Formats: sequence, structure tokens, C-alpha cells
Amino acid sequence: MAVTRFQFLSTFSRQFSSISNAHIVQPKLRIEEIRGKRISIFDKEYKRQQSLIPRLEKIEVAYEGFDNETTTLVMNKGVSTPYNCAQHISEHVMKNSVVAEVNGEIWDLHRPIPSDCTLKLLSMKPEDQHQASLVNKTFWRSCSYLLGAVVEGSFQDDISVTLHSFPPANVRSGSFVYDVQLSLDDWVPSLNDFRQIAATFQKFVRQNHTFQRLDIDSSVALKMFEDNVFKADQIPHIATKSSSGNTVTVYRCGDHIDISRGPMIASTSLVGRCSIAAVHRLDSRIYRFQGVALPSEIYINHFAFGILETRARKLNPARTPELKSN
Amino acid sequence: MSTVGLLRTLFNPKLLPSNVTQLQSLNRSPFLLGFLSNHEQVRNMSRVKRRNTHPGYWLSLKNVQKKDDKISADNLRFMREVIQDKYKNKSPLKVSELQIEKTEWDPKTKRSGVIARNIGRQQMWDKDGNKIVCTVLHVLDNHVIRYIPPEEYVKTSRGAIHFKNKTPLGCLVVGAEATNPEKFTRQYCNLFAEVGLMPKKTLSRFIITPNAALPPCTPITAGHFLVGQAVDVYGKTVDHGFQGVVKRWGFKGGPASHGATKFHRRGGTIGTGRDKARVWPGTKMPGHMGSERRYNRGLMIMRINMKYNVIYVKGTVPGATNSIVRIFDTLLPLRKFKEAPPHPTYFPPEDGTQKEEDIWDSRLHVFGSPSISV
Repeated sequence: MAVTRFQFLSTFSRQFSSISNAHIVQPKLRIEEIRGKRISIFDKEYKRQQSLIPRLEKIEVAYEGFDNETTTLVMNKGVSTPYNCAQHISEHVMKNSVVAEVNGEIWDLHRPIPSDCTLKLLSMKPEDQHQASLVNKTFWRSCSYLLGAVVEGSFQDDISVTLHSFPPANVRSGSFVYDVQLSLDDWVPSLNDFRQIAATFQKFVRQNHTFQRLDIDSSVALKMFEDNVFKADQIPHIATKSSSGNTVTVYRCGDHIDISRGPMIASTSLVGRCSIAAVHRLDSRIYRFQGVALPSEIYINHFAFGILETRARKLNPARTPELKSN
Repeated sequence: MSTVGLLRTLFNPKLLPSNVTQLQSLNRSPFLLGFLSNHEQVRNMSRVKRRNTHPGYWLSLKNVQKKDDKISADNLRFMREVIQDKYKNKSPLKVSELQIEKTEWDPKTKRSGVIARNIGRQQMWDKDGNKIVCTVLHVLDNHVIRYIPPEEYVKTSRGAIHFKNKTPLGCLVVGAEATNPEKFTRQYCNLFAEVGLMPKKTLSRFIITPNAALPPCTPITAGHFLVGQAVDVYGKTVDHGFQGVVKRWGFKGGPASHGATKFHRRGGTIGTGRDKARVWPGTKMPGHMGSERRYNRGLMIMRINMKYNVIYVKGTVPGATNSIVRIFDTLLPLRKFKEAPPHPTYFPPEDGTQKEEDIWDSRLHVFGSPSISV
């Protein structure tokens, strides 16, 4: 019975993919159901990928730490993550690492290392300018992701919320962005609404979820996101751009799963102060949620943060989502 | 009847006013000293709470508790520019008096006061050559934050206490000493954000009659007062810290020589031993002295400098140099205004004819003027 129900759903959504999707109602309970379904697919795929490793092989990880000191760590191939390496070093490094640099390439902290490499763990205050900009982008990207996660669960049961996508991280624009479709025609959020969304954001972030990364086949991804029309459209394009031609990267944070290409920060505990600056209506019910946030390690006074908030209120010039209907 | 018994009938606490300053003057009056010996005290100060150091529970946190992370020099410069842009008075229009309603002054009017800083003492000389010691008070950049009308003020906890059995009056909130908003918390800065003012270091309430109300952002300068008028200055007295009985209560102590062993500045006896057989509450002993709120009333203004906003007031003012004081029109009935003062406050005349920069009292000798006038 479940199989037929899913088949029906996928044909139903594909039929309507070319029309304005405002008529599909996704009540809140449905969102929890959807999330539960996605998580089960994610877990299944994760277990399957773990089982592909026949036996544990060892790799040598050359960790470059403070003052260019190098240590060699013997870790498990395909299983150990940079976070596990950090656990061998110190609690401070473990808690403050945002993202890793594996052989010069930016790497998620909870992503398994496939072979011998040099490892660097970057914190929120790196010395190098180039490293700092990479960390900044990662942070911005993660905040966009989190904004989507929070917005999906923020609305009342009778309003349908469909996440569209978020543009690549651009710190210079002044805000991180998520484009969402709502079944509201002319919604002008009040100050209280902004505060409420920000409060939900803070609450979610304080639960210290880690970002779990998974590379999945596009067919699995389509099954996962069959109820979200926009994502279902985007998955084939994303898959063709990937290195193997068929994989899509998804991240899981708490109960939420979303598609994203780039690396994310280690855990939500690294996000500190945040505020939702503005919601701009793009067109045909697509709203651009904009926010600004600071890492928990960095503290600036309220006046300086106020300047950042004022800047974040301007409409972000990032690419707007195009609807096939228009 | 014993001396103490007589004193007790004379000083029945129920008959005495609750005002602390008046009690002190009664204690020191020559009438009493005749009855008092060195060791018999009048204990009416028992359990009076003279000072506290904690802020009121209703106040929001003022100063930031956390230190900023290192911000680059570029960013600091940018923030300074933003602050200047935000708080600079950008309107090209002249501030006109016409915005403020012209109200009539009557002898029962209570005008606003002013927040000033005591910057030290100076001497003035009158034309007969007599020295007059004056305290120099610098009127800081006072701006009106808001006006609370009588009906609203009575509903607040402070207003309810103030006007328990009297006709309610309005309250003017005035702030002085604009400072960098980064030093204060957001809640404190929001008090000023509504009027668009830079956050002030000091805030004060002045009880005024409704006809002396001023709109927010009105500046109050030294010209608010007139030379020759009497003012009351309110401040916190000099903090002497923990002081002994000789300095604190004026005890005579003991002899410096003639065999006195370790009894030079001590209090001596603290009770009789018979009557009540304990130390009575309020017994004068060493303790914290100073840092109390006091008014010096009826001080005459000898000179006002309009350019630097400085007032020279005859006499001394409670508090140490560089402390903040509040200046009001006097309450003393014989020294009150007989003619209208600048009401509700002083505004420089629009046609450009400024008041002279330095206004001296008529009986003072102006420095720089010839000593013999021909």
C-alpha cells in the first residue's frame, strides 16, 4: 500500500510541477511526516554506505597545528573524520573547529577522510586572510541552511511552506538568504514576526545539532524530495554538475535535510547571535528571507550589530529563483 | 526628673518631623547643648537608612558587561563615522521658538532644573574689596528626553509616593553628557533612541508644573538661570569613608597628654548601665560618613558665562570637585522669583542679538575693569 501511495504522490507532483504550486497544501503535521520520511531514507542510505567498507584500513593523517607543529595521527580510512582527529588533540580544538582543510581542500568536520592527507583545523578566528574568507563563507552558507530549516516549521498549519533554494554564500551582500514559497499573497511581516522567527532560530541553534553530510545518488535524492517540487526540479541539474555526474550532496541537521554543495560548519553551537533582518517578496508568492548572524565566539556591541542589521535589510542582489510558470 | 527623662519628654519622636536635616539642626541648637553633657546622646537617628550603594530594582542595566572582540582600525573608523552621521543635527532649518507653546509664568510655576558638574571653587570680590567664595558649576549638555504629564506620572511608583496627598505635577526627564552608544546596553540606548539623541551618561527627573513643560530634544543651557537669583543645589556629599567619632559626630575625645593612656580620639561611655541596661539604637559611634544626598538651599548666582555654560554660585555645594549636581530654582519663600525668569527655558533670540557672554552681579568687581572708575 505504501508503495502505491508514494507512486501516486510522485506522479501527482510531477503533473503539477509546471504550474504555480500554490495550490498544494502542506499542513504542519505533513511537514513532520515528510521530515520523518526523509530521515528514514537518509539513515538507510547512510547505513548502506557504511556497510560498503569491508574492513577497517589505517591511514596517516599529518595534522598541522599551532605554530606549524606537525603530528601524525593514525586514523581509520573512510570512517574517521577530522572531528575524530580533533578529539585526539584537545577539547579546545574539538569545540572551536569550524571546518577542516584536507590536502588544501575545504572539508566538512564530520566527513570521513578517504586517504593519507595533511589536515588543518580552522577556527572562527583564523590567522590567514584566505582561510578566514573560506570559514566566513562556510558560516554564511550554514546560516542560510538553518534559516530554511527554521522557516519551514515556523508557519501555521494552514499555510503551505515550500523551500526553494538558497543562492551561493556572498558575505559582501550583507545578509544570508533563503527563498521560500508561501501560500500567502501579500504578506508584510511585522517586527514581532521577525523577533519570533529569530527566537525559533536561536532555540534550534542552541540544541547543538551537528551537520551530517551524505553523498547520495540522484534517484535516492529524488525519492527524498519528491514532495518538494522545486527541489525535485533542481536535483537533475545539481547531479549533472557533480564530479561523478550522478551524485547529490545532502546535509542533515537535527530533523531537517536539505541539498547543498559546499561544506558546512561543524555544529550549530558555533552560531551565536542572529537576527532576521527582512522578508522581501520577489514574485508569485516567493519570499526572500534575509538574516544576519555572528559566530558565538565573536562578540560586538549592540551598536555595531545594529549597523549589520540595517545593512542586511536591503534586498539581497543574489540570483532570484525562476519559475517555469512565468 | 532626670536630665534624660526631661530630654525624652522634650523629644517625643511622635512630635518631631521625620525630616533628617531638621533633626540634626535641633541636635546642635544652643538650647539643647546646655542640657546635654558630653556623654548623654539624643537618640533620634535610630535605624534611619542614610545611604545605599545598589541601583534601584526598576532600573535597566546601563553599562555593557562584556568586552568587545578586537575590531580592526578600519571598522572602528567606520563606526565613528556612522555615529557622527546618525547624531549630527542635520536639519537645515533654524530651530525656532515657535515650536514651543508660549505659556505664562506665574509665581506658582515650577521650572525645570539643570544637571551640572562642580568644577571647583573660585573667589570673586565685591566693590568694597570683600572676598566671596564661589563654587563654579559647569552646565553640561542638557537635553530634554521626555515630559510625563501629571496624570501619567501619578500612576508610576515614584510619582505615587511623591504626590500621595498633594496635587500631582508633571515630570521632565533631562539627560546630560552625551556619550558613545557602544559603552551602554541596548535597553539604555533605547531610552534616547525615540527622540534621536545620543545616549547620555546622567539622567534626572525634575518635577514641574505643566505650564513649564518642554518638548523632547530641547537644550537647556546656563541661560536658564538669572544672575542674582537663588538656587538650591542637590548633590551627594563628599565620601569620607569610615570615620571615627571625633570627625563624624564632633566628639571632644580625650586629653592629648597628662597621662592619658590610649584615650585621645575615642567615644568614651556608650550607656548608663542602669536604665535599660543595653546600648540604645542610634548611639553615636564610628562608621561610614558622607556620600549622602543633601541640598544646599538659597545659594545666590553671582556670575553666568553664556559661552562656556558656567555658573558661579555663592557658597559651597554638596560633593567633591568634578561630581554631578542638580540645580533648581530655590524653594525658600523669601528668595523666590518676584519677576518672570526665562520661562519655560532660555532660548537665544532669533534676531541674532545675543545676550552678553559674561554676566556679572552688580556688586561684583569685574576682573579687567579699571579699579577706579572716573
